[in-house]
Amino acid sequence: MTELRAKLRAEIEKLLNEQSIDVFLAFKHADSPLRPQPGFFRPGDSLEDLEYNYLCQNNLANYLPRFPVETRIGMVVRGCESRSVNALLVEKQHLRENLTLIGVPCQGIVDLRKLIERTGEDITAYSENQDTITIHFQGMEHVFVKEDVLHDSCLRCLHPNPVNVDILIGEPLPEGDTNLVREKVAAFQALSRDERYDWFRQEAERCIRCYACREACPMCYCTECFVDHNQPRWTESSISPAGTHAWHIIRAFHQAGRCTSCGACERACPMDIKMTYLTDKLNEDILEIYQFETGMDAETQPPFAAFNMDDKKRFVA
Amino acid sequence: MGLVESSESDILMVHKPRIALFQCQWCLYSEVDQYWVDHKLPPSIHLTKLSCTGRINPLYILNAIQGGIDGVMISGCLPEKCHFKEGNLSALRQHDAFMNLLDYIGFDRDRMRFVWLDLQDLGRIQRELAEFEAFLIGLQPEKRLATRISSPVGGSND
Repeated sequence: MTELRAKLRAEIEKLLNEQSIDVFLAFKHADSPLRPQPGFFRPGDSLEDLEYNYLCQNNLANYLPRFPVETRIGMVVRGCESRSVNALLVEKQHLRENLTLIGVPCQGIVDLRKLIERTGEDITAYSENQDTITIHFQGMEHVFVKEDVLHDSCLRCLHPNPVNVDILIGEPLPEGDTNLVREKVAAFQALSRDERYDWFRQEAERCIRCYACREACPMCYCTECFVDHNQPRWTESSISPAGTHAWHIIRAFHQAGRCTSCGACERACPMDIKMTYLTDKLNEDILEIYQFETGMDAETQPPFAAFNMDDKKRFVA
Repeated sequence: MGLVESSESDILMVHKPRIALFQCQWCLYSEVDQYWVDHKLPPSIHLTKLSCTGRINPLYILNAIQGGIDGVMISGCLPEKCHFKEGNLSALRQHDAFMNLLDYIGFDRDRMRFVWLDLQDLGRIQRELAEFEAFLIGLQPEKRLATRISSPVGGSND
């Protein structure tokens, strides 16, 4: 990883020195060794703080729509981030010619919750290898196999390699197994209606309506979300069952054909609510019916925008 | 037609299903049908008229379901006859995916129905509603997702 970071740093330094970008989005050190935070590096800034490891939780594409389209942005992108960038480009949230993407084949993101579950909150140091994670907890050293502590979305990742990038650092990785997602959706669907509804209720009703999932999601960039609308009010904004159900259903539905399964929503959730089972189902449907996968290129319109008369055969009896 | 009087179901004391009808205002070509929908709907059917099926936000359907409705029926023009050229095409895809999603979390997909009406379908809306009502009577009353029963159907300004 240090080798990768050095290469990354050299590339960013080159871009910033050439003044070919206005800002570079990457990760930087934060107070806790476990939580690198998004960093915005501008020409003249020091790159001492630059960080890149398995703990980088955010989807950096989230920040793309917040800049004016004229801003020349450089970004380090992993597989899911590059697909999110493509999906945003399809929706005209930025211009490809104003982006410089440095791709890194992604080895997965470590789930902090899984680490804390195995030890405790006060982790003081962290280091990593290709396949193992080492942490210091209460003066003791703990070593974990990376696969055991990866985030669930990353275990099911289909495309770890970034697409549509300018510079690729590192060797491409093998593609993921499509059956993993399908099995998960099928297993949930095999449950009875009551069991499925109970699971949904149990997850949705823990929600405290902090909207961290929305803020972490690159595709949730509306200036006014449907839950913030108050004339008329579409859904209850309290934590009543009606409000939380509506939020979880409609939030997931707004991602249909746009979600890249990065799992940023689940990682951001303070209540540890599972959400990807909804978006995975929608992604599966979209793939099956329309043969569309989000963000594989920057031109193909998502199915909800690309309807045509052929649908008649499918839907009208 | 069993639907208008519905005396049979009253006598048998069976559950009278409530239906939310979302109607595209252009889809009923016959004045007789439109008059029936506007003025003679039985009280168990809640009518929402929209300018196009493409105007239906899935949130409206969810609102109706949360308000305790037993079935949702959407009536619209055939794909090539949309007044807004392609509004109902966009609706087709969205509503299909939305119903799949609701089915996935336990709500019965069959409780939501599309009717695509055509010029020669005189009286079809009544037949479809009667058939749908008969189908819903056969099912148990739906409790799933009906979390907002005390509020009126169609959203509230709380």
